[in-house]
Amino acid sequence: MLSGLAKRNSFFAAGQQTNNPLAGDPKAIQEGASQFRIDCALCHGLDAHGGNRGPNLTRGIWAHGGTDADLFRTISVGIPGTLMPANDLSEAETWEIIAYLRSLTPEKPKDTGGEPTIGEKLFFGDANCSLCHMVHGKGGRLGPDLSSIGNRRSPEFLTQKLREPNASLSPTLMDSGKEWPYDAQAVTVVTQDGQRIQGMIRNEDSFTIQLMDLGENLHSYIKSELRSIIHEEKSLMPPYGKDVLDEAQLRDIVAYLDQLRGESARGKD
Amino acid sequence: MLSRSILLALLIVLRTSEVAAQTSYDQIVHAAENPDNWATYSGDYSGRRYSELKQIDTNNVSRLAPAWAFQTQTSGKFETTPLVIDGIMYFTGLDDHAYAVDARTGRAIWRYERELPTRIPACCGHVNRGFATLGNKLFMAALDAHVVALDSKTGNVLWDEQAADYKLGYTFTLAPLVVKDKVIVGVSGGEYGIRGFIDAYDAETGKRLWRFNTVPGPHEAGNDSWTSDSWKRGGAPAWLTGTFDPELNLVYWSTGNPSPSDDPSVRRGDNLYTNCVLALDADTGKLRWYFQFTPADVHDWDATEIPMLLDLKVNDKPRKLLAHINRNGFYYLLDRTDGTFMFAKPFGRVTWAKEIQSDGRPLLLPVATADEKGKVVCPGAAGATNWMSPSYSPQTGLLYVVAREQCDLFTAIPQPFHPGHPYLGSVYFKPAEEKPWGALRALDPMTGEMKWEFKYISAPWAGALSTAGGLVFSGDMEGYFIAFNAATGKDLWHFETGFPVYDSPMTYMVGGKQYVVIASGSTLFSFALIN
Repeated sequence: MLSGLAKRNSFFAAGQQTNNPLAGDPKAIQEGASQFRIDCALCHGLDAHGGNRGPNLTRGIWAHGGTDADLFRTISVGIPGTLMPANDLSEAETWEIIAYLRSLTPEKPKDTGGEPTIGEKLFFGDANCSLCHMVHGKGGRLGPDLSSIGNRRSPEFLTQKLREPNASLSPTLMDSGKEWPYDAQAVTVVTQDGQRIQGMIRNEDSFTIQLMDLGENLHSYIKSELRSIIHEEKSLMPPYGKDVLDEAQLRDIVAYLDQLRGESARGKD
Repeated sequence: MLSRSILLALLIVLRTSEVAAQTSYDQIVHAAENPDNWATYSGDYSGRRYSELKQIDTNNVSRLAPAWAFQTQTSGKFETTPLVIDGIMYFTGLDDHAYAVDARTGRAIWRYERELPTRIPACCGHVNRGFATLGNKLFMAALDAHVVALDSKTGNVLWDEQAADYKLGYTFTLAPLVVKDKVIVGVSGGEYGIRGFIDAYDAETGKRLWRFNTVPGPHEAGNDSWTSDSWKRGGAPAWLTGTFDPELNLVYWSTGNPSPSDDPSVRRGDNLYTNCVLALDADTGKLRWYFQFTPADVHDWDATEIPMLLDLKVNDKPRKLLAHINRNGFYYLLDRTDGTFMFAKPFGRVTWAKEIQSDGRPLLLPVATADEKGKVVCPGAAGATNWMSPSYSPQTGLLYVVAREQCDLFTAIPQPFHPGHPYLGSVYFKPAEEKPWGALRALDPMTGEMKWEFKYISAPWAGALSTAGGLVFSGDMEGYFIAFNAATGKDLWHFETGFPVYDSPMTYMVGGKQYVVIASGSTLFSFALIN
C-alpha cells in the first residue's frame, strides 16, 4: 500500500510543470471531481458554480490568472488577502483538480456584463446601499463593510442577496465545523422599563448580547436584565426588486461589488 | 561537605515525605471510592464521569473562581481530561505535548514534547485526550500511531511501540484505558480508509498482547457484510476510551464509521463491526458480543461515544446495563452481559429513521439514502452528540447528554481510494437555512424521557461532569464554563474562558480543597471556592 502512495506523490517530483500533464485525462477528471468536492466545494459549490464565498469556476474567468501554472499556484499557495487558502495537496491531486475545472469551463469566457463605475454611483446614490454599508471608509456601519466583498462573495451570491435578502441563499454551504456567522441578524431587545432597541447583532451568547442600533450606537446587555429579546426573522436589508433596480442596474452594482478586492481607502498600495 | 550519614538521613526524610503518586490496578477498580484522585479518562471504569466530591455544591457554587491556569502555548482544540493522582496532575495537549503539574498551584513539574512528523494525515486536529496510568507509568496514544509509556515522575520515555503506519492514515487521539496489566487503545483514521483495530499492550514492556480487528478479514465472522475486498479499507476506527466491567471481565469499546463514510456503493452490506459497541474479553481480546447501532452508515455517524455502564433495577431486579448516547440521535439501553437490546429513543432531532425496531435495527426513512445532489438529514455528520462525554449521577438518577441540533446536506459520489488520503465518498455541509444550536439535556436512563434542558445558542462540543454536590458542569461554544443544578437544569454559575470549549470537565481534591477543571483554547483552568 505504501508503495502506491509513494508512487502517486513522486509522479511529478521531477519539478513543477507549467502545463497540466493530466489535461483531458478522463480518469484524472474523475479523480479531480471527487477531490474538488472534498477540498473546494465548501466555497465554490458542489458543482463549481460558485458558493457563498468562492466564485463560479465554470465561466472561464480567472481573477488571478488562467494558465495552468496560474491555477496550480492559486490552488497550492492560495491568494493572500482573500479567503482562498493554501492547500496541502500533492502535485498529482492539484493537476487532477485543474483537469476537472477545465472540463467544466468554456473555450471563451462569457461576458457577465455590468459596468462598475455605474454600479458605484448607484451604490453611493440612488440605491442607498451606502446608508448601511461602508466601502473604503465611506458609508454606514450597520451592515457589513463591503471593501473586500469581491474576495468573499461570488457574483451569483451577491445577485441573489440583493434581490431576495431573506431567501435561502442557494447553493450556500457552511463548514460543518465552523461557528455560525453573525453578520446579518436583526434583533429587538426590550429593556425592563419597556424601551425597545432594534439593531444588528454583533455578538451573542447564552448570557449576554451585543448589538448596534439603527443610530449606529453600540449596546451590550446581560440577558437576565432584559425583559425580552426578539430575534427578527427578516433581514434589515430591503429586497431590491426589479421595480427598484432593473436587470442592467443590478448587473452594474454586482460588477462594482465584484471588483472590490480590499484595497485601502488610499487606493491600491 | 555533608557526611555520608547526614546525606543518608536526609534522603530518608525526603522519601518519607514524598507523595506516593502511583496507581495500582486495584485502585483503578475502586476509583469511584477515592474521589480525591481522577484515575481514568472518565474518572473510573464505568464511564459515568461522576464524582462523589461535594465541597462545591448548589449553595456555594456562586463562589467558584479560578484557582490557577496553565498555558500550554499551543492552540487549537484542547480536548484533554487530566488525571490527578495524589496531588499531581498529568495531562496531554495539542501536538502530543504532555505535562505534570502541582494540582494545587498549576506549577509545572515536567513537560514532554513528542517530535511528531511534519505531515500526518489526521482529520480533526492534532488533538490528544489524555493519559492512562498504572504504577509509576503514564500511557499516551500518540498521533503518529505509537503507544508510549512515560515515567510519571520525570516524563522520560520508558517504552515506545509503533502500532501502525501513520502515513496510511492510522493515528491515535484517545486516552488509553488500563485494564489489569494491559494498556488498551483504539485507532483513529476513519476518514482515510484504514482497517480499524483495538490493541492491548503489556504495561510493563510495551509488547502487544492482542489485537481485535474491528473489520473482520476473510473467513472471519462478519466479513460477508462487506462487498469484495472493501473490508481492507473499511474504517471502523475506535477512537474514544472504552469502559470495563471487572466482574464480567469485559471491555466495552465503541467503533466508528465505515469508509468511505458517505458513499455506500463500494461497501454494500451492514459493514461489521462499524458503528458498534463491542464486548471484548479483557484477557484475550476475543469478541463476546456486539451491537450495531447504524448499519451501512452513510452519514459519518461514528458510534465511538462512551459506553456507559449503569447498575440499575429493571422490574425491581438489579441489572447490568450499558447506556449509549449515540451520534445518530438515539439513546440506547442494552444489557451489558450479553448485548440484549432493551430500547432506543431519540434525544435530539432525528429525520433519518422512523424508529429503532425491536431487533435494534433502525427503520429507515427515504431521506436516509444519500445521492449526488445531496439530502438534508438530521442529525448532521457531527452527530446529535459526539466525543464529548455524557455523565450519569446516581444522586439524581439522571443522564446528562450534550446534544447538538445541527443538520447537514449529505452528498455521495464514488471516490477512488489512495492510501493515506481522505477517503470520504463526497462531503457534507451544513445548509444555511438554520443556525445550529444545542442543549445540555437530562434524561431518565430507564425511559429516555427528557427531564430538563438548557439550550445553547450554538451546537456544543463540551462534555459533562456530575458531582455529589448536586451539580453538572459543562461548557459552550461561546467559551463559557457553566455549573448547573443537576436536578433542575438551572444555571447557577458561569465563567468566560475566552475560547470555545472542546473538553469534558473533571474534578479532584487536594489538601482538603475541591477543584473543577476545564481546558479551553491553550489554557487549562482549575477552579475552587473563594472565601
